[in-house]
Amino acid sequence: MKLSSSRFVLLALLLLSSFFTLKSNARPQQGNVVPRNAVPKADEAKEGEERFQTNCGRCHHPPEDLSPREARVVVRQMRVRAMLSAEDERLILKFLAP
Amino acid sequence: MKRSWYLHFWAGLLLVVLGAGQSKGQDLVPVITGSAGFIYSKDAGQTALQPIINPILLFPLGSKFLVEADAFLQGYVARSSPGGSYEWQSFNSIEYLQLDYVVNSHITIVAGRFLTPFNIYNERLGPIWIHNFQDDPIIYPIGTRTTGSSDGGMVRGVAVSRPDWLLNYTAFFSALSNSSHFGAGRAFGARVGVFLPKANLEIGTSYQRFLQDQHTNSYGAYLAWKPVTLVDVKGEYAHSPQGQGYWIEGAYRFSELAPLGRILKNIQPVIRGQQFFRLAPGVNDELPQADTQRVDFGLNYYFPHEIRLNGSYARQFSSTGNSNNWTLDLTYRFLFPMPFWPKGGQ
Repeated sequence: MKLSSSRFVLLALLLLSSFFTLKSNARPQQGNVVPRNAVPKADEAKEGEERFQTNCGRCHHPPEDLSPREARVVVRQMRVRAMLSAEDERLILKFLAP
Repeated sequence: MKRSWYLHFWAGLLLVVLGAGQSKGQDLVPVITGSAGFIYSKDAGQTALQPIINPILLFPLGSKFLVEADAFLQGYVARSSPGGSYEWQSFNSIEYLQLDYVVNSHITIVAGRFLTPFNIYNERLGPIWIHNFQDDPIIYPIGTRTTGSSDGGMVRGVAVSRPDWLLNYTAFFSALSNSSHFGAGRAFGARVGVFLPKANLEIGTSYQRFLQDQHTNSYGAYLAWKPVTLVDVKGEYAHSPQGQGYWIEGAYRFSELAPLGRILKNIQPVIRGQQFFRLAPGVNDELPQADTQRVDFGLNYYFPHEIRLNGSYARQFSSTGNSNNWTLDLTYRFLFPMPFWPKGGQ
C-alpha cells in the first residue's frame, strides 16, 4: 500500500507526538525547565515582567487591566502561539495578574 | 445542508456546556479579544478606505485544552474606475478555528484551521494592531499559499529549553479546501527556531511543500532581535521557484528618560526595506511580476487604552512602474471576558 505524502506526514506527526508524550510521562523534565523554586516568590513578578519583555514584548505591549482568570486564558493562547515554556507561562502570569 | 447546521449547533452547544463545566473548576473565563481599525491608503494614486474588525474568541476547556477562533471582517471602499463612484466591497474570512491540546512543556497538538506557520510574519505579526505597516511584505505569499491559513493538524512546542538558549519547532500538514471561508492549500511544512534570551535574538528557518497543481518547495529564514529595550529589528527571507526576496524592519521607541521623554515616549519611528527578485513567471502567485524594491517609513503614536495611530509612506521601484504609497490608520486592541459567564472557584 502506497502512503500519500499528507498521510505520511500525519503518521510522522502522530509518532512524534506519541514519543514526546511517553517521554514526558516517563520521567520528570530534568534540566529542560527551570525548577519551580528557582526564583524566590517575591521576585517572581519581576522575573515574569522580564520574561514578558523577552518573549512577548518583541511583538506587543502588555494588555491593560487583565483579571487573573482572563490572564490564564490569554497566556495559554500565547504559550501555544509564541512557544512559551511552562515556566515562562507561570512567571508571566505572576506579572500580568499577580 | 439542514442536518449539517443541526450538527454544528449541537457540537457548539456541547462545547459550551463542557467548557462551562471544565473551566469553572479552573476559574477560567472565555475571553473575547482582537482588534478594530480603520485604514486610509493611497496606493499609486488610488485611494481606499478599509474598516476592519478582527474578533478572536479564546475558549478554555479544562487545564489542557483551548479553542481559538478568529474572524476577519474587512470592508473596502474604492473607486471602481478612475473618476468613477466609490463602491463598497466586503471580505470576510475565518483566519483560524483551532483546538489546542497542551500535552506538556514540549508539545502542543493543534487540530482544525490555523495560521500557516511559515517564518514569523503570518503567525506573530499579522494582527493590524501589531504590525507596523499595514501593507504585508512583498514576499508574504511565499510559503503561505493559498490563504495564509491551513486546514489540518500541527504539532509545535519547545523541544529544548536551557537558560541560555531555547529550541522551538512547528510541523504541520494541510488538506485542500475550496470552501469560501475555510479555503486552504494542500501542503505540509515545518519551522525550527533558536531563541537566545540573553541576546534577545531569535533566528529560524522554514520549509513548505505545496502539494497541489505543481508540487513546489518554499524555504525561508527569519530574524527577530531586540538588541536593547527600545530597539526592535525583524526580518525575513523567503524563496520559491517563482521568486525570492527579503524584508528587514527596524523600530525605535523613545525613552521616557530622554530629553522631551514625556512627550516622545509614545512615539515610535519605523523603517522597512524590501527586495524581491522574480525567478520565473507565475500565475496567481500574488507576487510582483517583475523585480521590485521598496522602502517604507512610518511613525506610530501610542495612545492610552490600546489605541494606536500610524502613518507611513512607501516608495516602490519596479520595471513595471514606480509608485508612492501613503497610509494612515487607527487601530484599537480590545480584550474582555465573555459576558454573563459564571464565576468559578479554585
